[in-house]
Amino acid sequence: MKSKLGIAGFLLLMIIAPLLVRSEYLLNLLILVCLYATLSHSWNILGGYCGQISLGHATFFGAGALTFRYLWLGGVSYYLALPAGALASLILASAIGFPSFKMKGHYFSIGTLALAMIALITVQNLLPGVSFITEACLKEYSLLTIYYLAFGVGVLTVVAVYALSRSKLGLALVSVREDEDAAEAIGINTFKYKVVAMSISTVIAGFAGGIFAFYCGTYYHYAPFELGWSFDPLLIAFIGGAGTVVGPVVGAVVFVLLKELFAASLGQVNVLIFGIVFIITVLFLPKGLVGIAGIIRKPKKTSAVAQER
Amino acid sequence: MAALLQILSYGVFSGALYGLVALGLSLVFGVMNYLNVAHGALIMLASYTVLWTCYYLRFDPFLSLILVVPVFFVIGWVLFLGLFQRLLALPETEKLKNSLLISFGILLICSNGATMLWTADERAVATSYTGKVIDLLGVRLPYIGLATVLLAIIVVLGVHLFLTRTYFGKAIRGVSQDYEAASWMGINTRRVCLASFAIGVALAGFPGVVIALQTFNPIVSFDLTNKALIVLILAGVGSLRGVLFGGLLLGVVEAASVFFVGVAYREVVGLLLFVLVLMFRPQGLGGRKA
Repeated sequence: MKSKLGIAGFLLLMIIAPLLVRSEYLLNLLILVCLYATLSHSWNILGGYCGQISLGHATFFGAGALTFRYLWLGGVSYYLALPAGALASLILASAIGFPSFKMKGHYFSIGTLALAMIALITVQNLLPGVSFITEACLKEYSLLTIYYLAFGVGVLTVVAVYALSRSKLGLALVSVREDEDAAEAIGINTFKYKVVAMSISTVIAGFAGGIFAFYCGTYYHYAPFELGWSFDPLLIAFIGGAGTVVGPVVGAVVFVLLKELFAASLGQVNVLIFGIVFIITVLFLPKGLVGIAGIIRKPKKTSAVAQER
Repeated sequence: MAALLQILSYGVFSGALYGLVALGLSLVFGVMNYLNVAHGALIMLASYTVLWTCYYLRFDPFLSLILVVPVFFVIGWVLFLGLFQRLLALPETEKLKNSLLISFGILLICSNGATMLWTADERAVATSYTGKVIDLLGVRLPYIGLATVLLAIIVVLGVHLFLTRTYFGKAIRGVSQDYEAASWMGINTRRVCLASFAIGVALAGFPGVVIALQTFNPIVSFDLTNKALIVLILAGVGSLRGVLFGGLLLGVVEAASVFFVGVAYREVVGLLLFVLVLMFRPQGLGGRKA
């Protein structure tokens, strides 16, 4: 009951915060947190729960962003363009993502990385230019709208992952992660569950891509395909706690704050800090920052899935 | 005809380089199942080391190897003791995953640290023989390319002889075939892993020289890791002799794709080849079953 009240209070605070504090800076940070939390949860479903470490999420993120931009600039309103972007991402996943499950374990990781690079180079060659917002669309552009959209998508994503973690589907995904052969042996169709995980994951990545394309005014067409969009969600999920509901959200907050702290002083090199934080997390905190809470106070009653890892 | 031969020769030169790039990664992967994706970053660092030795000590780039290789041996030693040693006790798949993640962190640290220290400017070591070519029946063969091929053959042969003819090399092969059984035979597996990791990192020095002779910057590390992974898969996991063959195949395919598809999609063709091999023949084109 107490935790429910806490969550309700948190949601309310997030909704009214931008109205109380009229600061564009804060709004930008909040949008980024929502965007990264959504994207890393998208990675988390496939990598954290199902154990398929994808290094190619930028492809689906980029597909969502590309579709959104084209439709939005073409005159379609943003609330229609957003699901269309997610759909495009799903279609792309069924074309290149599902076959990639022929690659198992680490082959999947490096294979998806190769696919992401192919996508990046192809988009760089086909669309070398910069994408601008047209004047008509500029009227629709408001940080507050983007924030509520990003926040809504973020909350829906977290709710979806929470529901997933407590469902039979979630258990099946975890079983694939823990031991694929054993899961197959007890009658779980591992390929089917991997495909399901990837579908959910790519749809969410497509939504995140759409929000990026809505939020960023001017960028190179290939910017959302950059490899960083594959690596960041992985870093965030591991720093926060992969395979948990809260982990990627905590990770996203830490990620955005650290980036904000170091970007001013170190510039692009702030990635160096994440490399160090990442190694420390993998070596000493396999459960991520969320795991610290578990170490400090003994876990009472957590769901079986959330306790894994 | 001459044009085709010319392209083919460039394929062979870059292929020899790819083989060198993949050698250290392949050794480490074969012996202890670590996927060290930081290898490209280590090669990049080796290139900078070559650059600075040539600059301050006025060494010839190839001569600087006598300094660079031991330095990277020590770096590998330290990396293993500091980070990778902890993973030895893990089960196979966890080992692979965690080594991938940790070395990925190292890759980020090295490439961004190098950018911070030496900026993202393109650099190259200029020598008296840079740009010089031999004209052979209308085909222009650059000195540096020929030296790369020679270096690749010498290094691969050297590693091969070390692994087959020396006692310690045999121990390394034993550990790579069966970790448990090797330890029952009285082989100090931890020490073998330490040494082969250090050797694997030291092998980054050789491609480092060749890269230093071309233009390079810190970002090149991602590209190199990528090439190393492709060659690793083409050659067959853990097959050191296949590495040169895999590198040459990739180099020639890339060079041919410049001719047929255009330079913009050169990388794509190599990557597609990689994905197809991963899907249909994950043990590699010539490799043993994993």
